[in-house]
Amino acid sequence: MENITNAITLVPLNHYILLSSIIFFIGIIGVLTRRNAIIVFMSIELMLNAVNLLLTAFSAYRGDAAGQVFVFFIMAVAAAEVAVGLAIIVMIYRNNNSIDIDLLNKLKN
Amino acid sequence: MLLLEQLPVNYAPVAFQFFVAVGFVVVTMLATHLIGPKRKTSDKLTPFESGVEVQGNARHPMSVKYFLVAILFVLFDVEVIFMYPWAVNFRELGILGMLEMFTFMIFLLLGFIYIIKKGALNWE
Amino acid sequence: MTITQSLFYFLAFVAIFSSLLVVTAKNPIHSVLYLILTFFTLTGEYILLNAQFIGIVNIIVYAGAIMVLFLFVIMLLNLNVESEPQKTNLMKFIGIITGGIGLVVLTAALKSTDPSNTVVIQEVDMGLVKNLGQVLFKEFLLPFEIVSILFLSAMVGAVLLARKETK
Repeated sequence: MENITNAITLVPLNHYILLSSIIFFIGIIGVLTRRNAIIVFMSIELMLNAVNLLLTAFSAYRGDAAGQVFVFFIMAVAAAEVAVGLAIIVMIYRNNNSIDIDLLNKLKN
Repeated sequence: MLLLEQLPVNYAPVAFQFFVAVGFVVVTMLATHLIGPKRKTSDKLTPFESGVEVQGNARHPMSVKYFLVAILFVLFDVEVIFMYPWAVNFRELGILGMLEMFTFMIFLLLGFIYIIKKGALNWE
Repeated sequence: MTITQSLFYFLAFVAIFSSLLVVTAKNPIHSVLYLILTFFTLTGEYILLNAQFIGIVNIIVYAGAIMVLFLFVIMLLNLNVESEPQKTNLMKFIGIITGGIGLVVLTAALKSTDPSNTVVIQEVDMGLVKNLGQVLFKEFLLPFEIVSILFLSAMVGAVLLARKETK
């Protein structure tokens, strides 16, 4: 039994951390370099998913189910954020006829 | 030996089926591209519009009416992920779990009543 | 290298590659499809970690609901490739440098730690629905109830924002 569970995963924890930080920073680069509001949103989803992967990896590493329960809460927050955020994007599109985030600088002056 | 039935190894048939399904699609698409004859004239490449000349771009904005339904679907879909663990543990959690879930559902039901009252799902 | 290890590295490669494509694709619809591919690879990673319920929920919620909503909004807003706004090259360069520096700092910090143990799954049935339900409904009761308030406010917000004013 012990041998079988040992054989399941032999990947170092560092590699999980590295993978999720790479995905997280790809998301950050996406937020910084794109002007399309929807793609900025998708980059945020990418960052949330990187965090989910990290939480699950730590949860499996420590043998503690709390991390996996937290992933549920992150998913719930992501869904609420997407619902309100896309409603805001559609609203902006109706007013500006564009979803370019650089046009949203009316508070600047 | 119950635990051995819950390892990732047991997903191998699922993965196998997934690869067979994807492979079938890829193989058939490649095969039709390779085997089929290709005659690319400008008449053949235009979209078929029952003989009428094509006008403009296919990417026109669609109606917004259905959009709110899609948003609300996402919210109610995510709510379901909290109901699966509750349903599996229904007996162990007992009456307390029932009350917890009722509190959860009452808030969602309030939201649903608000949606109906506002007429957000009406098809105008 | 065992099968699990090679699967992990394969899935990790596909995940990084497709998430790069999400950020760089010109057409927003292609971005959505690559993001769905990323979610599927992450589901594979969850199943390798024996977090099976999370893996399924990831497909149901992200690939099934959230990405459909994204596709729907893109279809709704009539985004042609030509009308897609682009940042200036300088801004893109600055953004990539900023993100790259952050990644380098984090990786360097990771390098300086001790080499970690491998992830060994200690409790095989931890990621199953039953066990997660026990934890969720005993230890995390208050967050669970707060989630319902969050959903209520999200519903009200979405209805208020997205409904056309017909006055």
